[in-house]
Amino acid sequence: MTKPDISWLWPALILGGAITLLICLSPAAPARADTVSRQETEKYCLSCHGNDPQLSRTLPSGETLPLYLSPDTLAQSIHSHAGIECEACHTGITTYPHPEVAAQTRREFSRDLYLACQKCHPGNYEKTLDSVHATVAGEGNLNAPVCTDCHGAHDVRPPNEPRAHISETCGQCHNAIVEAYKESVHGAALLGDDNPDVPVCTDCHGVHNIQDPRTAQFRVQTPELCAGCHADQQLMDKYGLPANVYDIYQLSWHGVDVAVYKSRWPTIWHDSAVCTDCHGVHDIRKTSDPASHVNPANLLATCHTCHPAAGSNWTAAWTGHNEVSLKRTPFVFYTQAFYASFAPVVLWASILYVVLQIIRATVDRIRRNLP
Amino acid sequence: MSAKNQKKAASSAAQGIHIERLFKRFTAGQRWEHLILFLSVAVLVLTGLPQKYRAAEWSQQILATPERLGMVQGFHYLAAIVLILEVAFHVGRALWLLSRRRLPGDMLPTGQDVRDAGQMVLYLLFLRKTKPAFGKFNFEQKFTYWFIVFNIGIMLVSGLIIWFPEFFTRFLPGSIIPAAKLAHSTEAIVGVVFVVIFHFYHVHIERLNLSIFTGRLSENEMRAYHAKEHERLTGEKSGDAPTGGSQ
Repeated sequence: MTKPDISWLWPALILGGAITLLICLSPAAPARADTVSRQETEKYCLSCHGNDPQLSRTLPSGETLPLYLSPDTLAQSIHSHAGIECEACHTGITTYPHPEVAAQTRREFSRDLYLACQKCHPGNYEKTLDSVHATVAGEGNLNAPVCTDCHGAHDVRPPNEPRAHISETCGQCHNAIVEAYKESVHGAALLGDDNPDVPVCTDCHGVHNIQDPRTAQFRVQTPELCAGCHADQQLMDKYGLPANVYDIYQLSWHGVDVAVYKSRWPTIWHDSAVCTDCHGVHDIRKTSDPASHVNPANLLATCHTCHPAAGSNWTAAWTGHNEVSLKRTPFVFYTQAFYASFAPVVLWASILYVVLQIIRATVDRIRRNLP
Repeated sequence: MSAKNQKKAASSAAQGIHIERLFKRFTAGQRWEHLILFLSVAVLVLTGLPQKYRAAEWSQQILATPERLGMVQGFHYLAAIVLILEVAFHVGRALWLLSRRRLPGDMLPTGQDVRDAGQMVLYLLFLRKTKPAFGKFNFEQKFTYWFIVFNIGIMLVSGLIIWFPEFFTRFLPGSIIPAAKLAHSTEAIVGVVFVVIFHFYHVHIERLNLSIFTGRLSENEMRAYHAKEHERLTGEKSGDAPTGGSQ
C-alpha cells in the first residue's frame, strides 16, 4: 500500500486560505461585523419589546400605545437587514430606563418619530414638505400621512414590490379612488397582468411631493401628463393605440385654449376640456367598454357636462384624435381640400395680376416720358 | 391726375379757368354701405386674427388676460352684428329694387367682362397696345364685388355656426362645426389677402380712387377708366383717352 500523493493539495489549501482571507477583508466584512452588533442591539430591545404582546402604556389622551414588536415584523424590514439599529430611528432612547414619552396622543407620537427619517433620506423628506399632505397637515389635519404611514415603521420594504403595492398603499386612505382605479383599463392591467407599462398612482401624482390635483395648474398640465405615455410611439404601438392623439388635441379648440391658459394664466381655472374631462380620471376605460365615458353610447352625455344644450348630432362635431380623413370627417376633409388649393390660388393670382399691372404701367410711363 | 392730364386740361382752358365736369358714381346710400362694411370688417379682422393665432406670442400679448379675450370676442360679435345688418340691408334693398324692376344690372357679370379680361391679359403681356375700354364697372371691380359677396357669405354662415354650434347641430350634422371653424378661419385670410393685394392696389396704387367716399369721378378719370360709360353719358367719343397708362 503506497502513501497517496497529496502534494497537489498544498497549493489548493493556500489558494483556499487566500480566498477566505480576501472575503474576510473585503468591503462586505464590516457589514457582517455590524450585523452581529445590530443583532445584539435588536436582541437587547426585543428582550423586553418582543416578549409580551400586552406590553403597552396609556398616553395622556387616554389612548393605548402598544409597545410590543413582533420579531417576525422586524424580520421583514429592509433596515433591519441593512444593519440599521433601533436607536437610529428611536433617537431619544439609548438605554433603559427610557426617558418619558412627551407625546400626548398616538398620532403625535408617530409625527415626532418620523422626523428621524430625514437623517438618512433628506432629499425625499424635503420633497414631502412641498406636498399637499404637508399642506393639509400645516392646516391642522394631523391625519395627513407622514413617511411611516406609507412605508411602514418596523417593516419598511421596497415600496414597489410588487408594483400593485403602491396603489394598495394609497388605498389605505383614498380607498374609493383606488376601487375605481382597479376597474379602469390601467388598474385592471396592473392587478391582472402586473403590467409594467400602466401607471400606478405615483406615476401621475408624483411620489413624495404629491401636488393637489384639483388646482388649475394641475388641470392645465394634464395633457402633458397623459402624453408622457400616450405620445410615446413605441409604447402605443405595443397596444395598437395611436400616438398622435396629443398632437391633434393640441390643434383642437380645447387644446389651443388649454395651451394658452397653461402658458399665460396657469393659475386661472378654465373649463376647456382636458383628457380626463372626457375619458375620466381614475376610471379611464377602453373606448369600446360600454362603461367608458367616451363610448359612443355615452359620448353625448359626456359632452352635455359642458355643452348642455347639445343635440344628438353634436357628437359628430367631435372629430376625435384622428387626422382629417374622407371616411371619418368628410365635411372637414372637403373644406380642407378646397382651401388647400383655393387659398394659394387667390394669393398667387392676386400677386401675379398686380405685379403684371405694375410692370406694364411702369413700362408705359417710361415710354410716354421718352422724347 | 397725371401731369400730362393737367397739362392738357390747362391748355384746353384758354383763360386759365378750368371747369371740370364731375360724374356721379355712387349714391349716398352706397357710400354709407361701403363705410359700414369697411369699418365692421376692419374690426372683425383685427379682433379675429388674434383669436385665430392664439398660440402665437404676439396674439398672447394682445389677449393678455381672460377678460381681454372676452372683450375682444365681444367686439368681434358686435362687429358681426353690424355686418349682418349691413348685408341684410344690401340684399333687402336689392330684392326691393328687383321687385320694382329698378335694380341696376351694371354689377352683373356679362360676356363682355370675359372678353375684357382676356384683352387685359393680352395688354399686360405686351401683346396689345391699350387697355380695353370699360363701362361703369369694369371686370376687376365686378370680380372684387362678387368675390367679397361670396367671402362674406361664407364668413357669415360659418361664423354663425361656430357662434351657435348647439343650435345648428339640432338639424345639421355635427361635423359641420369643425368644417365651419376651418372655413371661417381660412376664408378670413383669403378675403384679407384678396382685399389687401387686389383691391388696395386698384384704389390706392394704380390711382387714388376716392369715388366710394366722394361719390364722384372727374371727367378725366371717366375718360381714362370708364370710356364706354363716359361715351354713353356724354355722347363724346373718347378715343384719345390715355388708357395705356395706369395713371
